[in-house]
Amino acid sequence: MFSMRFRLLPQACLLLLTCFMAWGVGSSGSTMSAGERATDFFAGRHDSVSGHTNNWAVLVCASRYWFNYRHMANALGMYRTVKRLGIPDSNIILMLADDVACNARNKFAGSVYAEAGRHLDLYGENIEVDYRGYEVTVENFIRLLTGRVDPSMPRSKRLLTDDHSNIFVYMTGHGGNEFLKFQDQEEISAFDIADAFEQMWQKKRYNEILFMIDTCQANTMYSQFYSPNILATGSSQIEENSYSYENDNDIGVSVIDSYTHYVLKFMEGINKTSQTSMQDLFDSYDPAKIYSHPGIRSDLFRRPLDKTLITDFFGGVAQAEVFPLQDIVSSSHRYENDPIPPTSWKPDAPSEPVVLSTTVISLPRLTGEMHQWDNWWKEVKKWTSIFVVGCLVSWVSFLR
Amino acid sequence: MRRTPVWIFLACLCTPSFALYPGEIYREDLRIQPLRDGRVSTTFSFVTVLEGAVPRNPMALGQVDESQHYALFPLTLGQILREHAITELHLTLNAGRWNYDNWGHPHEAGVGTGAELWAWMGASEITTVDERWSGLRNALSGLFCASLGSLDSRRTLSPTVAFPLSGSTPTFAPHELRHASLPSENVCTENLTPFLKLLPCKSHAGLASLLNPQKVFDADWHGMGIHVIWKEDTGVELKLTLQAVFNPVRTSTGKRRDWNLQLLFDRSIERSCPVASSSSITVILPEEKDYQIIPEYPAHVDGLAIYDLSSSSNFTIPSNIAMSWPSEHSFQYPLPPLTPVTPISVKRTIHGTTQTRGILSVSVTNNSPQEISAGYLEMVPALLTLWMHTLKVEINSQIRSDLLSGLKYHPPSPQSNDRLSPLDVASCPHNSTKDHARNFHRGQQSFSEIHRTSTRCDERLGSTRGRVFPAPSIVSRYPSEL
Repeated sequence: MFSMRFRLLPQACLLLLTCFMAWGVGSSGSTMSAGERATDFFAGRHDSVSGHTNNWAVLVCASRYWFNYRHMANALGMYRTVKRLGIPDSNIILMLADDVACNARNKFAGSVYAEAGRHLDLYGENIEVDYRGYEVTVENFIRLLTGRVDPSMPRSKRLLTDDHSNIFVYMTGHGGNEFLKFQDQEEISAFDIADAFEQMWQKKRYNEILFMIDTCQANTMYSQFYSPNILATGSSQIEENSYSYENDNDIGVSVIDSYTHYVLKFMEGINKTSQTSMQDLFDSYDPAKIYSHPGIRSDLFRRPLDKTLITDFFGGVAQAEVFPLQDIVSSSHRYENDPIPPTSWKPDAPSEPVVLSTTVISLPRLTGEMHQWDNWWKEVKKWTSIFVVGCLVSWVSFLR
Repeated sequence: MRRTPVWIFLACLCTPSFALYPGEIYREDLRIQPLRDGRVSTTFSFVTVLEGAVPRNPMALGQVDESQHYALFPLTLGQILREHAITELHLTLNAGRWNYDNWGHPHEAGVGTGAELWAWMGASEITTVDERWSGLRNALSGLFCASLGSLDSRRTLSPTVAFPLSGSTPTFAPHELRHASLPSENVCTENLTPFLKLLPCKSHAGLASLLNPQKVFDADWHGMGIHVIWKEDTGVELKLTLQAVFNPVRTSTGKRRDWNLQLLFDRSIERSCPVASSSSITVILPEEKDYQIIPEYPAHVDGLAIYDLSSSSNFTIPSNIAMSWPSEHSFQYPLPPLTPVTPISVKRTIHGTTQTRGILSVSVTNNSPQEISAGYLEMVPALLTLWMHTLKVEINSQIRSDLLSGLKYHPPSPQSNDRLSPLDVASCPHNSTKDHARNFHRGQQSFSEIHRTSTRCDERLGSTRGRVFPAPSIVSRYPSEL
């Protein structure tokens, strides 16, 4: 009898071990609610959450003619960078005031280079220029930002941002004290841009904006901003010119500006998963190399710069927006009482997440009591399955 | 024995089915023609046919449209056509000047510089033709990254004689034409990218894999065209064309006119497009026999070498098609005087010494021995005021007013100063002898009072390097003789 008990000992230990493991696994996940777990998974990665769910880029080259090749190359360099870091063409508005790639003066047709050795072609085979030639005007730029476009304007030329969009606005061209020249015909002033951004803020068209500008006396262009969540940087201060970086002897003109060249060089080391912050970019500014004093304006920006990632603006890293259950329940009640269905809203009113609310109506009603019943039922199921597994294991082990 | 039905079933699954996409056919074609001045003209043609399809009835624009399920036809373009109920659409984006005298007639007729868009659509009370024209222009400008949105009412006309219907129109509504052109539009890679995305195989397989933007936009002349036609017995046909005239004498190291696909495009065709019902390269062989073509053409039809690239043929895809002239050391340009290849040559010049007044002169030469009757359509920007009473028609300094008939002039409308004025003129140049040195000055109009305004209209005409006039069109009355 003693030997029989010893024979059964390994099977009994195995059964006990299985029960303990099952209990351990089952109990570890039941402390937090499902909503808290989801929030923790999606948002728990950054110390300081930017709160954006999509990225847009507006890249403007405002000058025309062949000798302003470098301004086109500036904008195209930024275009390639944001595309490489993940922003898709549908979220990039590229405005080039002239065509240099297929210009009759361009020895290298279909190509635009930003350095003297011509190693990297910025134009490539897959490019989408949304506004080109004479469409790049002050009026079109401001209409694009504020969303006040003609109903016939196609989707690819609209800025379809919402209140969780981070927008990177880059402008380059010839400028001066609080103005930027468009196309040799007209100019946009710092006040115009500031007012456009304020309209965007009032209409909830952005979460955060990074405004970067490379012109002469560029820092004056962001001196008039007054809307929150704007981080601005420029290439030179007042009474100071911005200079080009180098010429290419076969193309015959300057191919890139100094400030943009050093910013792009810094960006070469960034990829989609990089944790480099905006403070690192600003620390890399060297006025001795750039030949001008770049400036930064962060008083309107609420987050610390060393916790703001480069990919928050330049990359297409999307966050998920987690809605608490109570919000969904209350909004589904609201839409049941509202006689006008949300789909009849105009397409350019992007402030509310319309799509989400239409699908929510089909969800079952989840009140607080249902939540508790759900938990209890889960516990019951868990213990039943542990019991069944234990019975099976013991049956198999006692069979022999 | 029990497994035989299973094997039969599996065998049926494995046989290649040509009716993969019922109701849609796609075929592609490349024609290469060496020209007499050492250049090489290439014409890509990609045709997708939606069998049995009918354009949308504009009277039904208020109702929900039928769903569009396409396998080969591009959905983006299909949606635009149905949204605005377009029956026929032609859009061309060209750069350069087509040299008719040396190159002959192009395989695709629309070679006017810049952007040219014309469409036939049925009239409707729900939305007017002009509203749909505006919607079409803006939708196409977003699709093709071209500034077609600026082809507004100031540039739009309805020249029905010069731009007749190429297909048929459904009977549900009378159709109207709208035409506009923007001669200063640039064509570059951002126009080619969406063009390639309209093809079923994109640029990964088939003939479209040859389209290298760095080479195509380096050509002496290049242009792309999008043509949508409705044929009553076939259905809706979408034809995408790309023409380019390359210059191997300029780009090669030894100034030779030898060409091969690798030299012209810097690409090779790796595999054929599996959904193409036919895919071929046709080389139009020159008349002199001192050339050599590799690989030796398998099918020789009327001076054409045809290479079949479709997946159903058992002809292997040639890695490179090359034509060379081994006996030539370097290409010698043919010396003048050269007979123009086309029966009619046209030259349009502006004479004068000042910016405010001058003479617009058009010289039409009839190079054939017969009489030709042709129509001439010209659209002149409203900045110029033409004084029609100064119109003179001459042959060899001899006034011949009897040769001009059916002159129609539409002045700019008084509402907007910036209206284009078409000049619909029918004229009959005579050439009773074979002496083709007889020039025919058909029209001399003097204009004055060019208003140099500072509006954007002035800029759009390229005022920095002179004014760009839209290309005129010549419509012959007797096409069989040309």
